[in-house]
Amino acid sequence: MSERSFYVRWGRYLVLIALAIPLYIWSWRTADINLIDLVQGAPKARPIISDLVRPSLLARERVTLSVSTVVRVPCDGPAPEPPAAEGPTVSLSATCLNARDPLVVSGSGFRPNTPGRLYWRVAGLEGRLRDEPFETDAQGRFTVQTDIPPLLAQQGGVHALDVELKWEAGTLRPSETLRTTVDKMIETVFLALMATTFGGLVAVPLSFLGARNIMPATLWGNTLYVAVRSFFNTARSIEPLILATIFAIWVGFGPFAGVLALSVHTIASLGKLYSEAAENIDPGPIEAIRSTGANEWQVIWYGVVPQIVPPYVSFTVYHWDINVRMSTIIGFVGGGGIGLELQRWINQLQWNSAATAVWAIVLVVSAMDYASAIVRERLV
Amino acid sequence: MLEIKELTKVYDDGTVALKNVSFTVPDGEFLVIIGLSGSGKSTLLRCINRLIEPTSGQIIWDGVDITAAGQEDLRRIRRQIGMIFQQFNLVKRHTVLTNVLTGRLGYTSTWRSLLGLWSRDDRERALRNLELVGIADKAHNRADELSGGQQQRVGIARALMQAPRLLLADEPVASLDPATSHSVMKYIEWMNRERGLTVLCSLHFLSLARRYGTRIIALRAGELVFDGRPEEIDDRRFKEIYGEDAIEVEIR
Ligand SMILES: Nc1ncnc2c1ncn2[C@@H]1O[C@H](COP(=O)(O)OP(=O)(O)OP(=O)(O)O)[C@@H](O)[C@H]1O
Ligand SMILES: [Mg+2]
Repeated sequence: MSERSFYVRWGRYLVLIALAIPLYIWSWRTADINLIDLVQGAPKARPIISDLVRPSLLARERVTLSVSTVVRVPCDGPAPEPPAAEGPTVSLSATCLNARDPLVVSGSGFRPNTPGRLYWRVAGLEGRLRDEPFETDAQGRFTVQTDIPPLLAQQGGVHALDVELKWEAGTLRPSETLRTTVDKMIETVFLALMATTFGGLVAVPLSFLGARNIMPATLWGNTLYVAVRSFFNTARSIEPLILATIFAIWVGFGPFAGVLALSVHTIASLGKLYSEAAENIDPGPIEAIRSTGANEWQVIWYGVVPQIVPPYVSFTVYHWDINVRMSTIIGFVGGGGIGLELQRWINQLQWNSAATAVWAIVLVVSAMDYASAIVRERLV
Repeated sequence: MLEIKELTKVYDDGTVALKNVSFTVPDGEFLVIIGLSGSGKSTLLRCINRLIEPTSGQIIWDGVDITAAGQEDLRRIRRQIGMIFQQFNLVKRHTVLTNVLTGRLGYTSTWRSLLGLWSRDDRERALRNLELVGIADKAHNRADELSGGQQQRVGIARALMQAPRLLLADEPVASLDPATSHSVMKYIEWMNRERGLTVLCSLHFLSLARRYGTRIIALRAGELVFDGRPEEIDDRRFKEIYGEDAIEVEIR
């Protein structure tokens, strides 16, 4: 190496470095990179992260025991007879009372050491009125004091008083969150399947129009080719999240909006992949089939189809996998599926539940990844 | 009789691949086409069954002008012309049997062929042709599991299915080793001698051309520069065809 070329070469590197340094300083500032926050803020993220590693999966079944009795409020008639019942008994200090009168409720024969609560079913009204909580003692007895709510007097008549105990019993079962997650995950996988199917069905014919070697080299052929290819490239660059927002407004929130958004994206994405696969097929077998005197249908069926089926199927499976991943996010803007629940749980700061959804997504996406890799390997 | 009259092919990019080529092939001839790479051999063969559209000139086969045929007639003509290729051009993912059966496509209705409903007769004929080329035991293998020589024999069986009267062979042995080359060439020779097919075959090696051809034509840059019997190609002719620096190599 001559001395001159040595300096020229290193001079070039120096210029490059001199240009790169300010570029990176500027980028660092713009991106607001702050390593101190990253370290100091860590404790704030601790509870979330610790919840994330403990997703809500299992819970015991909740058993409810309810015993009812009746009172008349205001006391403008005969005291009602308490309904006869077997098992645990409830007794009241009085059964004919007026607003704000004290009432002592006591019971026996209940499950020991169990929390419970009183509820009023007001005559002529829907729903229940929550009243005092209590807990039974070791013998299954309790005594609780309350005042008659004025609402009972306003409505008048005979009202029911429910004494309700709740406890967890039996074996561990999938928690409510887990069941919702599984439900919504299935919805997500099928949503992605529908989008992949619709998208693929439209993309197959379009991909022929977007393949140079299939389109005739005429003015019409070229125009169509360019139009289809531009559509693929433009539509592919629109984020499915944006499409989902539009469709959620168009057809309403829910999985259908998600299917539409993903379908459009799939048409463009698969269309491009399919056309490129079609452009790469071997022209040899096609000309061999044509030379036997076969017509165009026969040429396509025996010469083109066997060559495009493996790449088309493998791209489709691969895109189903991508669509599952995308549809988990699409729910955030109203596209249905697991995303909607995940967003709700995050907003309600239910990190255990959110964790269940996050883990479910990780699990399903990696399973799909694995499965699609196997399918693709088999096809080659 | 096949008559080629002033055949010219100019590709879209302006390449002149054939310039006013004329010659006549009587029935039963084994015509070998030689010439350097790029001299226009493949173009010439493909113009004959119009896999490539000639720019001008005529190709007349037994009084029928192939160059003037409409789509329907062209298919009827094509099915009587078998073709084999350097790269064998089998459908890799199909079985050997299916590949051979595609030779009958020109005789099979569209819907039957799309459903794979080959006639009993066609199936028997396919197996017989596979036996003929010695690979009946591979009938149900995938085509790409076969060796090069075996694949070319599938190509021959496929051409035989057409019951052709004319065979076009574009460098049928250029991808094969010398021993396999001869075994494949012998099948082609057999088709010519026993089945009475007219053969047009392009070859790279002059030794093969001399051994199998009953007549040789040579192309150079798209022009016909030689037309005669194999033994007429002497050293001077050889240099005319292949250029001053060429030396003849033997393939046995
Ligand atoms: N589709 C095409 N478009 C443009 N030019 C082409 C095309 N096909 C072939 N040619 C050109 O035409 C000329 C003849 O090509 P052809 O393939 O007929 O030659 P060949 O004698 O068969 O050569 P080889 O021995 O390498 O197979 C070459 O210059 C080639 O580059
Ligand atoms: Mg060639």
